[in-house]
Amino acid sequence: MTTATSSLHTFGRGGIHPGPHKEATASREIEDLPTPSEVVLPLLQHLGEPAEPCVKKGEMVRRGQKIAEGGKTGVPLHAPISGKIKPVDKRPHPTMAIAMSLAIGANVDAGPELEFPEDPEWRNLPLEESLSRVREAGIVGLGGAAFPTWRKLEFARAAKVDLLVMNGAECEPYLTSDYRVMLAYPTEIVEGSVLIAKIAGAKKVLIGVESDKPDAIEAIGKAAAALTDRSIPVEVVPCVARYPQGAEKQLVFAVSGRTVPARQLPSAVGVLVQNVATAQAVYDALRYRKPLLDRILTVTGPGIVQPRNVRAPLGASLADIVEFCGGIKPETHRMVAGGPMMGRSLPRLDVPLIKGMNGLVMLTGRGPLEDGFGACIRCGRCLDACPLGLEPDQVSVRVEVGRTLDCEPHGALDCYECGCCSYVCPSSRPLVQFMQVAKSALRRAAATRSAS
Amino acid sequence: MSETHPTFVLSPGPHLHTEESTSKIMWWVNGSLAPAALWGVFVFGINAAFVILASIAGAVLTEFVSQKALGRRPTLMDGSAVCTGLLLALTVNPNLPAWQAFLGSMFAIGLGKMIFGGLGFNLFNPALLGRAFLMATFPLNMTSGWATPRPWFGVPLDAVTTATPLAVLKEQGFEAAVKLVSSPVGLWNALALGFRPGSIGEVSLLLVAIGGAALLARRIITLAIPLSVLAGVALSTLHTGVPMLHLMSGGFWIGAFYMATDYVTSPSTTRAQIAFGLMIGLLTGMIRVYGGYPEGICYAILIANAMAPALDLWFRPKRTAIAGSPS
Ligand code: SF4
Ligand code: SF4
Repeated sequence: MTTATSSLHTFGRGGIHPGPHKEATASREIEDLPTPSEVVLPLLQHLGEPAEPCVKKGEMVRRGQKIAEGGKTGVPLHAPISGKIKPVDKRPHPTMAIAMSLAIGANVDAGPELEFPEDPEWRNLPLEESLSRVREAGIVGLGGAAFPTWRKLEFARAAKVDLLVMNGAECEPYLTSDYRVMLAYPTEIVEGSVLIAKIAGAKKVLIGVESDKPDAIEAIGKAAAALTDRSIPVEVVPCVARYPQGAEKQLVFAVSGRTVPARQLPSAVGVLVQNVATAQAVYDALRYRKPLLDRILTVTGPGIVQPRNVRAPLGASLADIVEFCGGIKPETHRMVAGGPMMGRSLPRLDVPLIKGMNGLVMLTGRGPLEDGFGACIRCGRCLDACPLGLEPDQVSVRVEVGRTLDCEPHGALDCYECGCCSYVCPSSRPLVQFMQVAKSALRRAAATRSAS
Repeated sequence: MSETHPTFVLSPGPHLHTEESTSKIMWWVNGSLAPAALWGVFVFGINAAFVILASIAGAVLTEFVSQKALGRRPTLMDGSAVCTGLLLALTVNPNLPAWQAFLGSMFAIGLGKMIFGGLGFNLFNPALLGRAFLMATFPLNMTSGWATPRPWFGVPLDAVTTATPLAVLKEQGFEAAVKLVSSPVGLWNALALGFRPGSIGEVSLLLVAIGGAALLARRIITLAIPLSVLAGVALSTLHTGVPMLHLMSGGFWIGAFYMATDYVTSPSTTRAQIAFGLMIGLLTGMIRVYGGYPEGICYAILIANAMAPALDLWFRPKRTAIAGSPS
């Protein structure tokens, strides 16, 4: 039931092999950030409505205590450290510049972390109870997307998915946090996957892991073999190390052979995709009712002094995290939150760690567009690189001459912005951005058409 | 606290980029042509060197002056003007007066590239446009008075040679063509090593092939275009009984590996490249067998260039997933 498939799986076309750059942190175990003096928790750090604070200024809270309600579409927030609540105020936010945030000043008088005793019935919870525990634990997709997990599960159930694909591919260069989580918590991940599958109604679990992580494949495989609950088969599927193996559509095809239609979610072909770190969080939530308090992330790149895999309380300042990793080298030029292919560059360190941030990559050297870009020399590299078979070259030259609305036949609406095309372009053309421009122009045009 | 924090440059993703760049590619192309060019000088003598230098100078100066005049950022270091000048020189008679080569590459860059908007915007291969211009302007110098190979800079092998093997093939038949080139190293050796009359760079198939192999190994070009050009020429010259002579001669190799594969003026998808290559090959054979020129690949490529953008739209990449149709 748990045998690893012998031949490697992968997606159909395109993709790239950027240097993995994972050596710096791959062999480093997860290390705990010392409790910071303050954490800042933006009320909005995922899709959905902002959380509504349920504590008052000056109140003492213990680690694990709920401090904000999630409302109808969001998730609640919990105190990641014990301390005293500071007033809700506008504070720096990694991606929104400034946002309303709760803050907690560390204070020993607040008491220790709440206790989270095991619920012996955790394997046999009714569906409603399981979903509500996932929701109450404040879990969002930890692979980077940060969509509230309870909503994704509810949606998957309604869409009658039959397969759960667990994403352990971690195809982004530099990042090793999922890898270290798989090595440290294989049982939790496998158990969590089964719990997720049950909530979503899936009959089978396939865990996709890139083949450059053989020890993770082995660890997960062993954990799957040791499962006592065998109602749902769990299988590890080794995949070729190739970017974007971890993109939902590519991974679904690689492990199951199902093709997700363009512009649709994997649920269109009966699949739910979840990240391995999310499974661990779901496991904690169902078994112990333990909320999401920490986040494991890789702090790395040529600009960091001591690359590490760090477990930090949510809301910890990136400055504290970077300092824990020896600080940055003077030549550090850019900072990327997430992986370097699809992550966002951030301007400053005095912002809090939010739930979706799976990596912090300090880069040296000049970045995209700093030296301009050239004309399309029609070399065709972007065509070969696009995993979807789109035509970023054709879109880009049309956008340049103002023909954005002529880009639909060339795939502008289908692009999911994996960045393979920009990566390979010898003229350094910002092809992803050209795709974005065309996509939003086409969407706006369609909206105006249907409105009139 | 925040005032002491460093700030970082914001940039759009992806934040990593391949090491490959347009100028690296161009300089690789130039470098891979160098052996054939040096060999041409070695075989044909010092005038070949003047032709090469004049042609490169004409290309580079024209690009520089037109960019200055238009207030554009100079892009000489991207190597593409050098490439055009070099390629043009390699496709002309080693006895061509150097000033004519200079004029030819001025035309190639000025009216073949800059007037369209520079690198990336030209429809036709600039070097071949320059060659076509020279053929029209100085037909005598371009098609007769061929330099005779003089290895080791010694005595000419054949003091009276005035035509290339293909021209002789066209006018006097296979036997005469064989006779022209076969002494003293033998026909196929002569064609492969370059001891025979011809353009500066085309004479040594071996060196052109090595250059082409370097580009293949470096993944700058693929075999799609060269192989389909080859197939096209073979198909259209089969009935003459001497397809090998066609394939082993003329600017065929330079044309197939360097001219037809020029990114800007060739299609980008593999299937379009195959159609493009076949078209070039078939046209080349037709021009050689039925047309007025012994050498046809120059015009064949120029004609096919005009089709390249359309071919890209006719032969599009296959989508891995179509919107709204689960499979
Ligand atoms: S960013 Fe879009 S166009 Fe570019 S490779 Fe990815 S899916 Fe294709
Ligand atoms: S990779 Fe860049 S230069 Fe090459 S075809 Fe695509 S857009 Fe044009």
